Amino acid sequence: MSDALMRLVGQVQGIVFQATVQPVLYWLGLMDWAEDVFEGLEVVLLGALAIAVTYILFRPLELWRPVERRTDRRAVWTDIVYTLVHKLGIVPAIIFLLLTPIGTAIDSYLRFKGYIPPTIEQVVPALRGWPLVTLLVYIVVLDFGEYWRHRLQHRLPWWWALHSLHHDQRQMTLWSDDRNHVLDDMLVATWDAAVALLIGITPGEFPFVIIGLRMIESLSHTNVRVDFGRIGGALLVGPQYHRLHHAIEHAQAPFDRTMGCNFAIILPLWDHLFRTARRTGQFLPTGVAALSGRAIRCGYLAHQVEGFRRLGHALAHLFSRCHPGFVAAFRTE
Amino acid sequence: MWSLPPPSLLHRLAAVAALAVGITVAAAASAKTVIVLNSDDDSLSVLDGDTYQETSRVYIGRSPNHLMMTPDTKFLLIADSEGNELVFIDRATGKIARRLGISDPYQIGFSPDAKWFVANSLRLNRVDIYDAATYKLVHRLPAETMPSHIAFSADSKTVFVSLQGTDRLIAIDLASGKVRWNVLVGPQPAGVWTRKTGTVLAAIMGSDHIAEVDPKSGAILRTIRTGRGAHNFQVSPDGKTLYVTNRVAGTISTLDADTLKVTGTLKAPGGPDDMVVTPDGQELWVTGRWRAWVDVIETASGALKATIPVGRSPHGIFMY
Repeated sequence: MSDALMRLVGQVQGIVFQATVQPVLYWLGLMDWAEDVFEGLEVVLLGALAIAVTYILFRPLELWRPVERRTDRRAVWTDIVYTLVHKLGIVPAIIFLLLTPIGTAIDSYLRFKGYIPPTIEQVVPALRGWPLVTLLVYIVVLDFGEYWRHRLQHRLPWWWALHSLHHDQRQMTLWSDDRNHVLDDMLVATWDAAVALLIGITPGEFPFVIIGLRMIESLSHTNVRVDFGRIGGALLVGPQYHRLHHAIEHAQAPFDRTMGCNFAIILPLWDHLFRTARRTGQFLPTGVAALSGRAIRCGYLAHQVEGFRRLGHALAHLFSRCHPGFVAAFRTE
Repeated sequence: MWSLPPPSLLHRLAAVAALAVGITVAAAASAKTVIVLNSDDDSLSVLDGDTYQETSRVYIGRSPNHLMMTPDTKFLLIADSEGNELVFIDRATGKIARRLGISDPYQIGFSPDAKWFVANSLRLNRVDIYDAATYKLVHRLPAETMPSHIAFSADSKTVFVSLQGTDRLIAIDLASGKVRWNVLVGPQPAGVWTRKTGTVLAAIMGSDHIAEVDPKSGAILRTIRTGRGAHNFQVSPDGKTLYVTNRVAGTISTLDADTLKVTGTLKAPGGPDDMVVTPDGQELWVTGRWRAWVDVIETASGALKATIPVGRSPHGIFMY
């Protein structure tokens, strides 16, 4: 079934590309970008599919057993815009255009120095011929990297200033996963590129597995009273588990590092290994205590500007130490 | 230069590769078998040339884009650009004999004297020249930007490389690794082909023509209009017909290989890319990059004989 669906997506991609995109590229003299744009169109189509499936599957859950009533429609609308600009490829395209030349220069320099990024199959030849297993190994390794990246997002004050945009939402819904500052996204992309230099890129044969993982991330933000239980919760990050990570009491400013918990993105294993797991069964209120009002209840662009403001304060505090503290840096009202 | 293998060989190759991933492959023999690299799927498709069906699809490595036979005809060589490796498939056994780690091989080629092996890195703006006997790197040249296709001079002294990102064609002296000339040839050049006369053809993808270039000076001698998005070349087994894919137009131009006069246009919707011609010259097989299929076209009539669904972004194609 996934083959048939992927074939359908591919045919739509081809028809749209040939009818609308390629003629424009040709007219603009940009045919050297044709293959990149073609792949980008696949990202857009799969993103649209992911949005549709996520909504069809998870919105009924929110209606069935919500943790809280949706009282702040405007905040949710902002998250919908975040989801659209991310999953429909606008932010990824900006990041691609800005970071690719830098990534290419670094990668090319390393090749001239004789370094060729290995793949996991080259390190573990037994994985050859087992692409799905290889992909799963990649997912585990990448998720391990994501866990530590996430820890840094909370640990470093300047990075937390950006990442706090993701956490300041008090009305978490299935749309909240993409609520990130564009600079935060660029840092994440840089992190991913650095990991790719170490272990190569992820196999491309199973795009639906990647989509499935992103849907798990959406589910973990969904406003639903669902706990995966003792065994399921130990295997996969779910809504209750991740809600604890977003709990307002864990995102005080200044950030109390000892209180942070449940940093894992897909596999809770890392939290258990590094003693950051917390299981309470509670569905706690979410947000950042020091942030409220216009700083969090605003449209997409205003929220992005707010992110720059927070970053500016964090950097000023870091470098000049003339501000009384991180709390004041965040306080807007 | 390349001979056909025993009929069942490719099925053995497919069976061995497929067994490695736990799938069963039909063992029927075929007079001709075609390998297609699905670059976005990390896989290769094995197509039966008699039934026009895909008989198997197997994982081969990250971003396989181009393939060719080694000069000694013992191995089919597949270049996995993102996997940073060359995969050697033994023609006698159909098994993967070796995986050799090299940096980002996108487009590959052997010089006619089999002394040099050249790999372009389109993504990293670099041309690598290897000793073809040992695959030891001899020269690594920066090539701004997007070095794409490769052709060699008949005397094996020069390699011609198109630079898609800077509208240029360059000639590199293989022994010294020095660029002999670097000329503007037209917007976004792709395919490069050396004619029997020694002149070099470049397919101008950002326009609707091919350019004939003097191999000594790089001067453009003439241009021939083919179709929008001229992309790549292939010649018929008898050497009389030159085929040019026109990616934007969705056509293939047929040219008299001696005069370069356009003799016809074949329909090939789907972003036609790389081509092979059957040994009898009757069928032209072309990968449809944007539509994940391979078209089989009857060369005499231009009729579409078959459209074979394959994996995502089919690119390189090879016929046993």
